[in-house]
Amino acid sequence: MFNTENDKFRRYTAFINRYSTYLLFLLYCSISVLFIKLQNRETLDAIRTGAIEFSSFLSEKVTDIGEIFNVQNENERLLAVNATLLSKIMKQDAEIADEKSRYKLVADTTINASRFIIAKVVGRKFSDRENMLIINVGNERGIKQNMTVFTPSGLVGRVVFVSEHYSKVMPLIHHEFKVIVESDKSNSMGILSWSGGREDIAEVEHIPISTSLKINERMLTSDFSTFSVRGIPVGRVISMKPDKLFYRVEVQLAVDYSTLSYVLIAPLKAEHEKTGLLKTSSVPSNENEIQ
Amino acid sequence: MIKDIPFLIVVFCIVLAIQIFGLSYAAVLNVTPDVTTIFLALVGVTISQRASASFGFIAGAILGIFSESSGMLIGWIMLAKTVEGFLAGYFNVPENSHATAKQKTKRIYIAIIFAGFASSAIIAAVYNPLGFPPAIGIAAFGLLKSALTLVLAFIINLLFLKKILLD
Repeated sequence: MFNTENDKFRRYTAFINRYSTYLLFLLYCSISVLFIKLQNRETLDAIRTGAIEFSSFLSEKVTDIGEIFNVQNENERLLAVNATLLSKIMKQDAEIADEKSRYKLVADTTINASRFIIAKVVGRKFSDRENMLIINVGNERGIKQNMTVFTPSGLVGRVVFVSEHYSKVMPLIHHEFKVIVESDKSNSMGILSWSGGREDIAEVEHIPISTSLKINERMLTSDFSTFSVRGIPVGRVISMKPDKLFYRVEVQLAVDYSTLSYVLIAPLKAEHEKTGLLKTSSVPSNENEIQ
Repeated sequence: MIKDIPFLIVVFCIVLAIQIFGLSYAAVLNVTPDVTTIFLALVGVTISQRASASFGFIAGAILGIFSESSGMLIGWIMLAKTVEGFLAGYFNVPENSHATAKQKTKRIYIAIIFAGFASSAIIAAVYNPLGFPPAIGIAAFGLLKSALTLVLAFIINLLFLKKILLD
């Protein structure tokens, strides 16, 4: 009996060994069929839901990794966009500032700007002695040499060279610039010039010791000037030092050249006859001094 | 190298990951090549029918769980992959046969065609992915899937398989 059972066991073992592949295949198929039967059950649904969530999570991570590699390109693209936007903002800011300056000039009620030409300062060269401004109007707008350039604050200079679209302005703070000025209260007259140094201080010469000129008095352009219209403020007297015959008067200039952006240009004075007379005078005169 | 179990498991995991996440870009008419078929054919031809059937069963379970479009078909995918592994095992080359790498490669290609077609036919019979009438759908899906898998197998053969089989 024992031998018979042993034989049976051996036969089973041999059978299993021989057909193990098929038996395994059958087992797998049975499990698969079981899953097919169970596929609508809640447990399986839960497994599927969990798997889908896990799979989505992994997919998201894989996408994130891909995005890391794209960050550099994205940064470069954003920098380009930023540069474009910045350039637009800067342009708009500049236009707004220009418009404000223009408006300020035109809206000034102390002068009637309608008969003057408005110009923008587009270039400037400042050094110890050689200062020059470039404005964006020229022959095409009727600009001529020796026209007066000013702002509501005061005299800026005079036009010395004109091209088609631009003009060169010799500012008051140029060592060759001279203009006849008079004080608004005492009517004391003198020749204003700038001898270098501080760009906000000029000197007035030929004011006699007998003058009643006082500190803080305003100096304006005079009608005696051959180029400038009368009454443009030039500055304010800040010091008076007596010499032998004349005072050496220092004037704080009215115009701040460092912030100059828009200017007005006055029409040329029609005084050719007067200029001609001065040139042909029997008494020799220094042309610069009576400008 | 192919009979090194840890190596085989690592390759199996990579193959499953590629199949789940990476092959959707290679779809033609919404049918993707099946890299697990290539793996099962390789195992079936070079190791044993039992191993390929077992790997097929596990692959079917994992693919069934992770397959979003056919999540309801988990049991069917398990069955299809088990059958696929089992059929691939019929092309097994015994270890003492002294078959060349070229002969083994040829067998792998044949295993891919037959096992892949059978597996695809089971899937197509259940949910008819191409939307054709049943018989045409089964044939078309089976042929298309086998063809795409075969193309992928050629590429893999050129890149890795030759070296693995020679080792």
